[in-house]
Amino acid sequence: MKKTWLVVIPVMLFVLVAAFLYSGLSSDPRQLDSQITGQPFPEFLLPDLMEPEKNYTQAALKGEVTIVNVWGVWCVTCAVEMPYLTHLKETEGVRFVGLYFDQDLDPDNGTKTLNRVQQEVTELLSRYGNPYAFNIFDVYRDTSLDLGVTGAPEHFVIDREGIVRMHHVGDINERVWMNKIGPLYQRLTGREEQNAQGAGR
Amino acid sequence: MIRAWLVMLLFVSSLSWAAQSSYEFDSDAQRESFNRLTAVLRCPMCQNQNIADSDAMIAHDMRRKVHQLLQDGKTEDEVIAYMKARYGDFVYYEPPVTIGTIWLWLIPLIFIACATIIVVKRRKPQVSADMAEQLAKADEILRQDKS
Repeated sequence: MKKTWLVVIPVMLFVLVAAFLYSGLSSDPRQLDSQITGQPFPEFLLPDLMEPEKNYTQAALKGEVTIVNVWGVWCVTCAVEMPYLTHLKETEGVRFVGLYFDQDLDPDNGTKTLNRVQQEVTELLSRYGNPYAFNIFDVYRDTSLDLGVTGAPEHFVIDREGIVRMHHVGDINERVWMNKIGPLYQRLTGREEQNAQGAGR
Repeated sequence: MIRAWLVMLLFVSSLSWAAQSSYEFDSDAQRESFNRLTAVLRCPMCQNQNIADSDAMIAHDMRRKVHQLLQDGKTEDEVIAYMKARYGDFVYYEPPVTIGTIWLWLIPLIFIACATIIVVKRRKPQVSADMAEQLAKADEILRQDKS
């Protein structure tokens, strides 16, 4: 009796530890639980990137399903995803709003002028396509902090009422759109039903 | 000798780097709060560093936010709550006690308890009659050897 326990207990422990470690193999430590999902978009009052005299509040994101794209010209992945975002805008009519922040434009000891930033943005968008309805300039990166942004690119899917429905860290490519963001977007816009009806006819 | 000095200089420079900060504080207490907070808040980008050590942009921004919140008269707990509301429990080096995390404390205790029970139970090995006889014999041989 005692002998069987001597075998069973270590084997059980081994299996438990192995299962725990195995689950750890596929878990991504960078995958943080988003705190903003399900919450209203944080309040803000920020200027337009191109026309700084124009201001936006969180109300600008309401009324239409919107994907807020956190980006900057210094971010290589952002430039890579730009053509695909533009493609989505053109084919599916997705409304993208840029939340732009600049790395070099340190609010405390800034080295880069706004003009310079605008110039770089115009240049990049003319080269890779411009998916944005407009760009909000997160001057002090406060709104990014409120959203729990850790880098760029990041995306927030906002429903018509201005509630954040999804926080996607990383770029949007075809695979991500098909499997993750697209289905939610279709559901929020109600296009899925239309498609289903269309197919039924 | 020169080499030893150079090595020492290396430490000096890294120390001053860690202490470097451009922030101004209303009081020493506030500065201490700031140093404490930036040491216990974790950088979401470079995950094994606190925001005092990290040079990631997000760490810069979080330091600035911590400073700003302290200037606004927020307490340390409020600053931690503020960061947790945005970056989750992850951002604070002290995890909350939940069903999922209680094991961090319980498993070592359970282990110690089990080990203690096993050690106590095993302390007196029962010597079988046969073995006792052999031991007695061995002792006798040893004694004879000595004498």
